[in-house]
Amino acid sequence: MTLAEPLPTGGFSFDNVARNAMLAARGAKPPKATSTGTTIVGVIFKDGVVLGADTRATAGPIVADKNCEKIHYLAPNMYCCGAGTAADTEFTTALISSKLELHSLQTGRQSRVVTAMTMLKQMLFRYQGHIGAALVLGGYDVNGPQLYTIAPHGSTDKLPFVTMGSGSLAAMAVFEAKWRANMTRDEAVAIVNDAIEAGIFNDLGSGSNVDVCVITKDNVEYLRNYNRPNERGVKEQSYRFPRGTTTVMSRKVINFVDVIEGDAMDVTA
Amino acid sequence: MEKAPSLKPGEVNLGVTNRVTDKLTQIHDRIFCCRSGSAADTQAIADIVHYYLQVFTVQEGQPPTVEVAANMFQRLVYDNKDQLMAGIIIGGWDAVNGPSVYSIPLGGSLHRRPFAIGGSGSSYIYGYCDATYKEGMSREECIAFTKNAVSLAMSRDGSSGGTIRLAIITKDKVERVFVPGNELPVFYEG
Amino acid sequence: MEAFASTAPVRVPLEHRFSPYTDNGGTTLAVAGSDFCVIAADTRQSEGYNINTRYSPKLYPLSNGSVLAIGGMQADASTLAKRVEQRLEWYQFKHDKPMNTQAVAHMVSTMLYGKRFFPYFAWVTIGGMDENGNGCVFSFDPVGTIEKHLWQCSGSSSKLIQPFLDSQMGHKHELLPPGELTAQRATLLVKDGFTSATERDIYTGDFLEIYTITRDGRTRELIELKRD
Repeated sequence: MTLAEPLPTGGFSFDNVARNAMLAARGAKPPKATSTGTTIVGVIFKDGVVLGADTRATAGPIVADKNCEKIHYLAPNMYCCGAGTAADTEFTTALISSKLELHSLQTGRQSRVVTAMTMLKQMLFRYQGHIGAALVLGGYDVNGPQLYTIAPHGSTDKLPFVTMGSGSLAAMAVFEAKWRANMTRDEAVAIVNDAIEAGIFNDLGSGSNVDVCVITKDNVEYLRNYNRPNERGVKEQSYRFPRGTTTVMSRKVINFVDVIEGDAMDVTA
Repeated sequence: MEKAPSLKPGEVNLGVTNRVTDKLTQIHDRIFCCRSGSAADTQAIADIVHYYLQVFTVQEGQPPTVEVAANMFQRLVYDNKDQLMAGIIIGGWDAVNGPSVYSIPLGGSLHRRPFAIGGSGSSYIYGYCDATYKEGMSREECIAFTKNAVSLAMSRDGSSGGTIRLAIITKDKVERVFVPGNELPVFYEG
Repeated sequence: MEAFASTAPVRVPLEHRFSPYTDNGGTTLAVAGSDFCVIAADTRQSEGYNINTRYSPKLYPLSNGSVLAIGGMQADASTLAKRVEQRLEWYQFKHDKPMNTQAVAHMVSTMLYGKRFFPYFAWVTIGGMDENGNGCVFSFDPVGTIEKHLWQCSGSSSKLIQPFLDSQMGHKHELLPPGELTAQRATLLVKDGFTSATERDIYTGDFLEIYTITRDGRTRELIELKRD
């Protein structure tokens, strides 16, 4: 049997590339994607890894989302912070998450952090930086806690503490001042919180709240809005318009259906 | 980041200035490479060669020579030269040629050398290297030569700095040496 | 030669030129009432994603009792404010009286136009009392266009605050508009305008500085805004 509609093959569609190049040459501005001018960090501690992120999403100078989630699920033992083009971080992590799940089912083993890292870097390298995802990958596997950064062009770094996004310098300043080897869970969470706060307050691309994720052997604590240092103040007055504020110019009622009263519904038990 | 690998009979010595990550990459038991240019490009190439060498070892039942690895790198860099920014130095030991160093600059040509330098800071140390290098240097002389060269490059090149990492590759083992920033060889700093 | 002609895009060396302008962000706002004028601005001074300082006033209280609010580039703003103040001093010496607000406004207009071909990157607003003791507000574009307003907001949050003011002070859509605007209600609206803008505009925040001008003089108030 032949299908009237061919099945979708997956992957990206490049149908409009030539058209868009022509439009761009004529001076048309391409639509701007929502970017997460962001602070994301990660740190390895004694028995695991802590990831952190702010929650501001921006569209140019405007705050598009005051409480977005930048720590994405990858696997039960792995999470990934995303900076850069919001859609790219979202879809890249979702795609790799799906591949990891299938791979884990196929092999009957828990996913490894290097596997996720390699899949992510190979995908980003293939797209030569056009997928604008800058990631901090953290997880715990048979080799213990691990932490990587993955840049949009596909290069990776393996380090005990990392920062990325527009607030990375503010956050790294905190790490360079306070980081120590073999910290406890609470010390690691505190330093991550401080690093994200540095980004929130000193980088205009970052703001609002602190999300934290603690990954240890066989356990994940996803601490959504671990710290909310930017609650909105109380407004000076209410802006509810009194009833009747809007002028009614005319009124007309059309009955499209006639409602007929029937027997009452039986509601006995 | 610059590299100043040098060679003497029996050993190979690779060095890289570095702040955090290790740009000396092991691609086989006795073969390393120094990466310069785009981190993404050179990592991708090194990963591919690493994979090729594993397949090679299984299929041939013996470890690859440095020459084989260097030719794999060259093929990748040359065939994709218009898409890559990668300057690579390969060094290692094998049973056929003993210690050897190869250099693959941007265009994808392949050169076997007694020593090779590369990266943004290398232009500052051609003079030092040419003036200092002697054939048949001892292991300690090679280490000093490499450290000095990298340190000199670091002090003149604005985009280099931090620490030096070395790998001393011999028939029997690979030794990794880390030189912290406060123990670098010091020269005229007027 | 013709054989080599091509429409393919050719890469040419990119020439990087020094740009004399920079936008330091921030928002200014002024409201004119029948017997008062409220003029306000946030104090954040930024460049790109960096905060240069959390307190760099964009309001310049003038010796004649008016207040100058200048957004845009801080260096141009302070230079312009200094020149305006100097002209006010000369006027005082020459005429033995302070310059009135309308006169300052028209003077600022000519000063801006005087640099028509290398303008100050400055969005200027003046608030004060007129000769009859009524509040008045004037605003200017960088080359000196002058406009008189009852309320006016300019800068990075202008598109967020101006419609709010139009609604809450204009009451054009309401059947029974409330009574006359008081200084107290104007101040409340200014505060709510700025706290709301701080939520959504990354360039507005840190502190809100408000000057209230009446026949009796000027008072200053400083309120904290969010710092993220």
